[in-house]
Amino acid sequence: MSWVVWRQYRVSATITVALLAAFAAVIVVDGVQVASRWHSVVVACAGSSSCLQQQAPLVNGVISDLPYISLIVPIALGMLWGAPLVAHEIESRTTDFAWSQTITRTRWLAVKVGWLLLAAVACGGAIGALTTWWSGPANAMTGGAFAPGQFDTQGIVPIGYAVFAMALGIAAGTVARRTLPAIAVVFGGFIGVRLVISNVLRPHYLTAVTTYSPVGGTVTPPGQPWILAQGAVGPTGVTVRSGWGGLYPAIPASCRALLPTAGTGKSGAVLSQVFSCMAAHGWRGFVTYQPSSRYWPFQGIETGIYLLLAAALIALTFALMGRRDA
Amino acid sequence: MSTAIETPAIETRELSKRYGRTSALTRGSIVVPQGRVSALIGPNGAGKTTLLRILAGLARPTGGTAAVLGGAPRQDPAFLADIGFLAQEIPLYRRMSAADHITIGAHLNRRWDGALARTRLAELRIPLDQRVGALSGGQRAQVALTLTLAKRPRLLLLDEPVAALDPLARRHFLATLTAAVADAAGRLTVVLSSHLVTELERVCDHLVLLAGSRVQLCGDIDTLLAGHQALARPESGGPAGDVTLEELVLAHMGADEASAVKHPTTVGEGS
Repeated sequence: MSWVVWRQYRVSATITVALLAAFAAVIVVDGVQVASRWHSVVVACAGSSSCLQQQAPLVNGVISDLPYISLIVPIALGMLWGAPLVAHEIESRTTDFAWSQTITRTRWLAVKVGWLLLAAVACGGAIGALTTWWSGPANAMTGGAFAPGQFDTQGIVPIGYAVFAMALGIAAGTVARRTLPAIAVVFGGFIGVRLVISNVLRPHYLTAVTTYSPVGGTVTPPGQPWILAQGAVGPTGVTVRSGWGGLYPAIPASCRALLPTAGTGKSGAVLSQVFSCMAAHGWRGFVTYQPSSRYWPFQGIETGIYLLLAAALIALTFALMGRRDA
Repeated sequence: MSTAIETPAIETRELSKRYGRTSALTRGSIVVPQGRVSALIGPNGAGKTTLLRILAGLARPTGGTAAVLGGAPRQDPAFLADIGFLAQEIPLYRRMSAADHITIGAHLNRRWDGALARTRLAELRIPLDQRVGALSGGQRAQVALTLTLAKRPRLLLLDEPVAALDPLARRHFLATLTAAVADAAGRLTVVLSSHLVTELERVCDHLVLLAGSRVQLCGDIDTLLAGHQALARPESGGPAGDVTLEELVLAHMGADEASAVKHPTTVGEGS
C-alpha cells in the first residue's frame, strides 16, 4: 500500500520538496547576511542595551515577511493534501477500485493517513527549524520569540499546526465526501482554531506572573518574557493600562488637584507628587507576564493541544470509514 | 450443472437496503450456484447496483442476510481476495497507466496474476504505458475487467459493464469474459447486471430479475423458460426455445407493480 501512496503523491511530493528547498535557499542566504549584520551591531554597541535598541532593524522589506511562510505552510498542506485524501477518491469513484482489492478499508486509510501525517511532521519541522534559525538575531535584538507572531512561526509549534491542518483536511474530506467543501472547512476551521487558541487559550496555559512597582515606576521582568498586560491597579482591584491616557481618568480627585489647572504643564516634580498621592490612595504599578523560562513549556503545551485535536479528527475519520457504506 | 450439495456462490434471504425512506432493495432472496454466469436484469433503479455492492462488501444491508461463498460479505482480506467487483463507472486512476494499475494490484492483493493481465492487454493491443484517461471507453473497460480477472476471484460481480460500450467493444468485452469463465473450469461464478437482455442471452445460463426493488425471478434460464412456456402457451407443448428470454423478462417486468405485494418466484436450485 505504501507504494500506492508514493505513486499517487510522487508529483506533489516532488513539488513540495522543491518549494521547501527554494525556501531553505532563501533563508540560508539571507540568514547568513542577517547574522553578519547582527555581529557588527553587537561589536559596535559593545554590550550597551540602549545602543542595541536604537539600531535599525536587521531585516527590512519583503524579506522580513519570510517567517510568515511558516504560517501558510500548514493550511496549504491541509487544503491541498489532506482534503482530497479520501474525498477525491470518492468523487472519482476510485475507492470502488481500491476497496475491491484484497485490502480492508481501515488498512487502506491507515497507510495513507500515516504517510501524510508523517509528511506534515517533516514539512512543519523543516519550516519551523529554518525560521527559528533565521530569526535568532532578530529575537536577540527585539525582545524574543515569546511574543505572538514570533511564537507562532518558530520552535516546534509549526509541527503541531501542520499535523492538525492535515488531519482537519482528511476528516473534513471524509465527512463531506467532496473535495471543495473540505478545502473550505480547512480554510475556515484552521484559521478559526488558530485565532481562538492563540488569543484566548495561550495566555492561560500557566498562571501568569504579576509583579508590582510604585505607580509611574517601571519594572522589567528578566529575560525575554511575554508581557500580557502592564499598567496600574487601584485599591479596589480596578486596572488601567500604562501610559498617561490610561492613567489620567483614574487619578483620584484629591491627587488631581495637584496638577496645574490647564492640565498641560506636567513637570517631573508635579508628576512624582501625583504618583506618591496615588500610592497613598492604594495605587500600584503592575506588569503581568509569562516568564521567558516558560517559552519551551508553552511550545510543548501548544503543540500538544494541536496534536490532540489532530488525534480526535483522525479517530473520527476512522470511525466514519468503518461505519459508512462505500 | 447440478450443484445441489455445494454451497451456493450467493445465497441471500430477505435482503433489504433502505436509504432513508426509500427502499433500494426489498426482501430479496436469491440463490446463485457456483460456476454459473448469472444475468442480473432489471430496469434502471431496480436495485441491481445496491444488490451487487452488498454482495461485494461495499454496502451493508439494513435487513436480511447474505452469504457469499459461504460467509457474510465483510472487511476481511480472506473474503475480499475471492471477490472481483467492477463498478458501473469503471473506476480507474485516470492519470495512471494500465501498467501502474497492474503494479498497484500486485501490491494490494495476495493472489495476483500480473503476467496474465499483461498478456491479455497485449493481445487486445491496449498500450500499457499510456494514461488510462487517454484510452477509449472500450479499452478502459477491458483494462478494468482484466485487472479484476488478474485478482483470480471466485466470484465476479460486474455492474452494467457493457452499458457504455459500442457494439464492437461489447462483443470484445463479453468474449474476454467468456474466455475467463471457460479457463476457470467451473471455479468462477459471475453475476453480470444489465438493463438489456439480448446481449447477455448468449453468455448467461442463470437469471435474476429485479424490478421495483424486488426480486421477480431467480433461477436457471432453461428451467425458467420451460416454466414460462407451460404457463403462457399451455396448449402449444412446443420446445422451450419457442419463448425467448426477452419475452420472459418482459412478462415479469410488466407485472412489476402487481407482483410487488406477492412473493418472488424462485425456480430450481432446490433451496
